[in-house]
Amino acid sequence: MMHPHEFRLSHFQAMMTFALVISIAFGFLSRRGAYKRARYILWSFILFLLIGVGIGWAMYPFSH
Amino acid sequence: MPDEVPIAETTNAVPVAPAVSVYPEPAQDRHRRDALALTIAAAAWFLPGLGHALLKMWGRALVCFSTVALLVILGAGMRGNIFSRNGEDAFAKLGYVADLGAGSFYFVAKALEPAGPDVSHANGDYGTRLLATAGVLNMLAALHAYEVARARKA
Repeated sequence: MMHPHEFRLSHFQAMMTFALVISIAFGFLSRRGAYKRARYILWSFILFLLIGVGIGWAMYPFSH
Repeated sequence: MPDEVPIAETTNAVPVAPAVSVYPEPAQDRHRRDALALTIAAAAWFLPGLGHALLKMWGRALVCFSTVALLVILGAGMRGNIFSRNGEDAFAKLGYVADLGAGSFYFVAKALEPAGPDVSHANGDYGTRLLATAGVLNMLAALHAYEVARARKA
């Protein structure tokens, strides 16, 4: 039974949230200036997603 | 007059000062700066973003606070496991160290999870990871604030 204050995210939603939040934090901590930060955040976010999906596909044969 | 004139004789430009000062920093100043940097690091660990706020880096302070807060709220809302001090194995102990990295937000996470963790579903497992990420991210931010306070980073 689901607790009233509990919420559920799918695996993909959790991965997206994680990637977005961490990319923003890394961008602000490691770069200065709006343009450089935006570029870093976008690049980091894309890489997080690509690597996450890539690792998922690489593990697919082991689940069967 | 020779064809090749040495460069030094062709310009009146003043030599550029070296990037590092030739005068050594007094030991007392260095100790004071180190102590201040440690205090800032402790403040940054205790309350996410406070270290950067003390250094007047408002944007970074806001981002550190909101990202750690968001991860803690999500992790606790998903009923992730908040590790306690008396962990049974090495992973539980490591998890405790990671969770404790969130500083005061460790206790906020406990308060937000009155029903306790539920890792019987994948959702709770994701929540556990988000809580650990909040702690590790806060430790990274505290380290960054420490480095800035010691004038090693911009």
